[in-house]
Amino acid sequence: MTREALERSIIRLIRIAGILFFAVIVAFPFYWMIVSSLRPLEEILMNPANLGLDFRKIDLSAYYDVLFDHGFIRYILNSLYVSIITVALSLTLATVGGYAVTRLRFRGQSFMSYSILIIYMFPAIVLVIPLYVIFSHMGFRDSINVLILVYLAQTLPVALYMLRSYFKTLPLEMENAGLIDGCSRFGVIWRIIIPLSAPALASVALYTFMIAWNEFLFAFMFLDTPDKFTLSRGVVQLAGSVHLSKQLVMAASVLVTLPILLLFLFFERYLVRGMTSGAMKG
Amino acid sequence: MASLTLKGIGKRFGKTAALSGVDLQVEDGKFCVLLGPSGCGKSTLLNVIAGLVPQDKGTVELDGHSVDRLAPRDRDVAMVFQSYALYPHMTVAKNLGFGLRMRGVPKATIRKKVLDTATLLGIDDLLNRKPRELSGGQRQRVAMGRALVRKPKLFLLDEPLSNLDARLRANVRLELKQLHSQLKTTIVYVTHDQVEAMTLGEKVVVMRDGAVRQTGRPETIYSFPADTFVATFIGSPEMNLYRGMILRNGERPVFQGREFHMDMGNLRLNLVGRGVDLGFRPEDVRIVEAGAGTLPVKVEMISDVGSEKFIHTQIGQEHLTLRAPKDASFRPDEIINLTIDLTRLHIFQKGVRVD
Amino acid sequence: MSVNSKHHRESRLAFWMLAPTFAVVLAFVIVPVIWNLWISLKPVSLADLRGDALFQFNLSFENFQKVFSDPDFDTVLLTTLVYTIGGSLLSIFLGLMAALLVHAEFRGRALLRGLFIAPYIAPVVAVTFTWSFILDPQLGVFNQFAVDHGLLTQPIPFLSQRWLDLDIMGVGLRIPMALFSVILFEGWRYFPFAFLFILARLQAIPDEFYHAASVDGATPFQRFFHITLPQLVTVLSTLFLFRFIWTFNKFDDVFLLTRGQAGTKVLPLDVYDYAFGEFNIGASSATAMVLFGVLALFIFIYFRWGMRIDD
Ligand SMILES: Nc1ncnc2c1ncn2[C@@H]1O[C@H](COP(=O)(O)OP(=O)(O)OP(=O)(O)O)[C@@H](O)[C@H]1O
Ligand SMILES: [Mg+2]
Repeated sequence: MTREALERSIIRLIRIAGILFFAVIVAFPFYWMIVSSLRPLEEILMNPANLGLDFRKIDLSAYYDVLFDHGFIRYILNSLYVSIITVALSLTLATVGGYAVTRLRFRGQSFMSYSILIIYMFPAIVLVIPLYVIFSHMGFRDSINVLILVYLAQTLPVALYMLRSYFKTLPLEMENAGLIDGCSRFGVIWRIIIPLSAPALASVALYTFMIAWNEFLFAFMFLDTPDKFTLSRGVVQLAGSVHLSKQLVMAASVLVTLPILLLFLFFERYLVRGMTSGAMKG
Repeated sequence: MASLTLKGIGKRFGKTAALSGVDLQVEDGKFCVLLGPSGCGKSTLLNVIAGLVPQDKGTVELDGHSVDRLAPRDRDVAMVFQSYALYPHMTVAKNLGFGLRMRGVPKATIRKKVLDTATLLGIDDLLNRKPRELSGGQRQRVAMGRALVRKPKLFLLDEPLSNLDARLRANVRLELKQLHSQLKTTIVYVTHDQVEAMTLGEKVVVMRDGAVRQTGRPETIYSFPADTFVATFIGSPEMNLYRGMILRNGERPVFQGREFHMDMGNLRLNLVGRGVDLGFRPEDVRIVEAGAGTLPVKVEMISDVGSEKFIHTQIGQEHLTLRAPKDASFRPDEIINLTIDLTRLHIFQKGVRVD
Repeated sequence: MSVNSKHHRESRLAFWMLAPTFAVVLAFVIVPVIWNLWISLKPVSLADLRGDALFQFNLSFENFQKVFSDPDFDTVLLTTLVYTIGGSLLSIFLGLMAALLVHAEFRGRALLRGLFIAPYIAPVVAVTFTWSFILDPQLGVFNQFAVDHGLLTQPIPFLSQRWLDLDIMGVGLRIPMALFSVILFEGWRYFPFAFLFILARLQAIPDEFYHAASVDGATPFQRFFHITLPQLVTVLSTLFLFRFIWTFNKFDDVFLLTRGQAGTKVLPLDVYDYAFGEFNIGASSATAMVLFGVLALFIFIYFRWGMRIDD
C-alpha cells in the first residue's frame, strides 16, 4: 500500500469514529432530557441506566404539573413577551443606527465601529452588580421592562454591527436613485434598505431572540416575584424547590429548549449566518 | 520524460458528463495543446491525468504503464494551475521547494535546485517574498517554477497565461516555446485561446462537450477541419459556412444554397442530390470584376484591424466575411463581386468532413 | 446647497439616528462601569442599597485589599485560569475536529452540521441541569451504566468531588475532578462556536491549493499540516482570544453546574458570593473591577496585535 492510500484509510476510520463520537455526545443529552421527562420518578429510581423509552409507559404528567402547578404557563408568556419586545426594539434601532453608520458621513465614525466591537466583548458579570445596585436603589429592579432594556443593551451593539456589515454590501446607486426620486432618508430605509435586507434582518432577529430567550444571569439576579419570572429563571426556581423530581426538571428543560431548537431547525441558515457574520457572544 | 496515453476516459459529475470516451496519445517530448470552449472538460481531463479526480472509465498510461492506481504524488507529474494556487503563507522559495521537501529531498539540494530554477526564470531576486507581494506576471513565473524545479515526467498546464495582459501573454508564450525546445519535456497544455494553441502546439487536440473532435498538427487542423465545429472554432474571423444541396447542372456539380448558387468545378460527383454544409475561409475569397460565376454581394460593414481589413457582406439573408488588404477601400452598401478558391473548399455532410 | 451644510445636515441626522442606541449603551454599559468603580471604592453592604450611603464620599482601597488578601484569592485565580485556558482550548480543538469531519461531502452532512450547533443554541439552564442529571452519582445514567457494565467499580461524583485519585498502571494520578468536568462541559457547549468559524474558513480555502499540494507530493496528513493548518492560524488565534475573554468572565455555567463547590470557584462566582453570600457589595464590585481590568488588557491586545476589524 502506498503512503497516500494508507493515510486515506486511516482518515476514513477516523472520520467514521469521529462522526459517531460527535453525534453521540451532542445528541445524547437532548435525547436524555426528553426521555427522562416522560418517565416517572419511580422508574428513574429503579433503573437509572435504562437507555430506551418504553412507549407504553410514556407519562406526560410532568408537563401538566410544570405548566399548571408550577406556573410555567406564566413563565412562557413572560419569556415570549421579553424576547419579542427585545427583538422588535433591537431590530428597529439597529436598522436606523446601522444605516447611519454605513451611509452618513459624520465625525467619529470609525470610533463608533470600534466601540461597538468593544461593547460586544463586554461580559455580563462585569455589569450585573452595578446595575443591580442602581435599580435596587431606585426601586424598580424587579421588573420585566427593566430586563428588556438590559437585554437591549446586550444585543443592540451586535445587531447594529451585523446590519452595518450587510448594508455595506448593498449598492449605493439604488439608494441614490431613491433619494433623487424624492424619498426622505427614512423613506429610503423603509422602501429600499429593509426589503433588500430581509435575510440579514432575519439573522439579527433570530440572534436577538435567542439571547433574550436563553438569558439567565440578569433574570436570576433581577427578578424576585414569581409572576414576573422568565422561563430560565423559572427552571432554576423549580430545580431548587423539587430537588429530587428529575422528571419535573427535565420537563421544564424541554419546555425552555424546544422553542429555540424548533426555531433553529426552521431557520438554520439565517441563524448560522447571523452567528458567523456578527459572531455570537456566549 | 514520458509518453502519455489515454484510453476511453469517461467522467461524470452527477448528471453532467464532463468527459466521454477520450482517447489521446502524446509522444515523448511533444508539446500537446488541449483546445476547446469553456466547460468542455479540459480541466477535468488534466485533473484526471494528474490523478486529482478519479475517472469513471478508461485508463491513463505513462510510458505504457497504467497509473490509475497511483496517487498524484506517485505519478511524478507537475501542474501549473489557472489561478496559480501559490501557497499564500509560504515565500517564493518555500513555494518552489515544497514539492521537493514533500519528497524528502535534502535541504541543501532543495536550496540549489530552487536557486537554479529561479535563475532560469529570472525570479531569483524574489525568493523571499510572499505571493501577495508579487505582480501577476511574477506569480505566473513562480507557478511555472514550481513545476519546473522537480523535473517530472510530464508537465500539465491549465490555462497558465489566461490571467496575464495581452502583451505579457505574447512574451511568455514565446519563452514557453523556447523553454520547451530547451528542456524537451512532454507537456499537456490547456487553453481556450486558439492563437495560443496554434503557436505553441506540436499537436493540437480540439475538444467539445467532453469529447475529442480532432487531433493533429496545427496546420492540419486549420486546413482540414474534421467537422463543422472545428471548422468554425478555429480561425478568426470564422469560416463562412452555408447549408445547401449539390445539384447537377449538365456535367458540372453546382452548390445550391438558400441565397446563392455556385459552380463547384470538378468535384467528385457522388454527392449529387445530397444536403451538405459548404465552407470556405475568409482569406480564400477574392474580390474581382463582375463576370461569369462571380458572386455579387453587398458590403455591410468593415472592420479595420490595422494589418488588414475584414469585410462583412450580405448575400440575400446570409452573411459572408472576407479578408482584404489594408489599403482596400469600400463603402457600406456597395456591391462587389467575389470568387472563391475552389481548391480550398470544405464540404461537410451531417456536420462531418467528406473529402 | 453647499457641501458643508449637506455634511452638517447628515451629521445631525446621523446623530439622531444613533441617539437611542447611544443612550441605551450609555445607560446600561458605560455608566455601570463607572458606577462600579465608584462602589468598589466604598464600603457598601447589601443593606445599604436603599439609603443615601451610596452617594457618600468615603472612598478607600479597602475592598481591593480585602479581595486581594483573601486567602483563597490565589486558588480562585489559578482555578479561573485553568478553567479558562482548558475550556477555550478544548472548545476550539473540538470545533476544529468537528469542522474537519463535516468539511468533506457526504450524505447527511447538512443534518450533522445542524446537530453540531445544538449545544450552543440550547438555553444554558436546560443543558446544565441535563448534564448534572446525567453525571449524577446516584440517579445519573452515566455512572449507573458504567457500573452495570463493569467500566467503573463505583460511581464517580463528577461534579461534586474535588480530587479523584487515579491509579493507571501503578502511576498515581490526582485530577481535580469537578473542575475537569466543568471544563469538559465548557468544551461541549462552546465547540459549535469554533466549529462555525473554522468551517467557514475551511470552505474558503480553494481546492486548487490541495490539488497543487497533491501534485507536489504531499500526503493527506502533510496537506493538513502544510496547507490547512497554516490557513487556519488567524481564525484559530482570534477564536482563542474571544473564547478566553468570555470564558474568563463566564458565570452561568459553573454556577449552575456546581455553584463553585468542589474546587470550581472562579472569579465571576466570587463576584456573586461576595454580594449574596457575604452581603458585601463593595468587595463584589472590586472583584468585578479586577475582571474588567483583565478584559481591558485583552481588548487592548486584540486591537494592538489582533485583526483589523474593518471589512
Ligand atoms: N467538481 C465538479 N462538480 C460538478 N461539475 C463539475 C465539476 N468540475 C467540473 N464540472 C463540470 O464539468 C464540465 C467540464 O468542466 P471543466 O472545468 O473541465 O471545463 P473546462 O474546459 O476546463 O472549462 P474552462 O475553460 O472554463 O476552464 C463543466 O460542465 C463543469 O460544470
Ligand atoms: Mg478549466
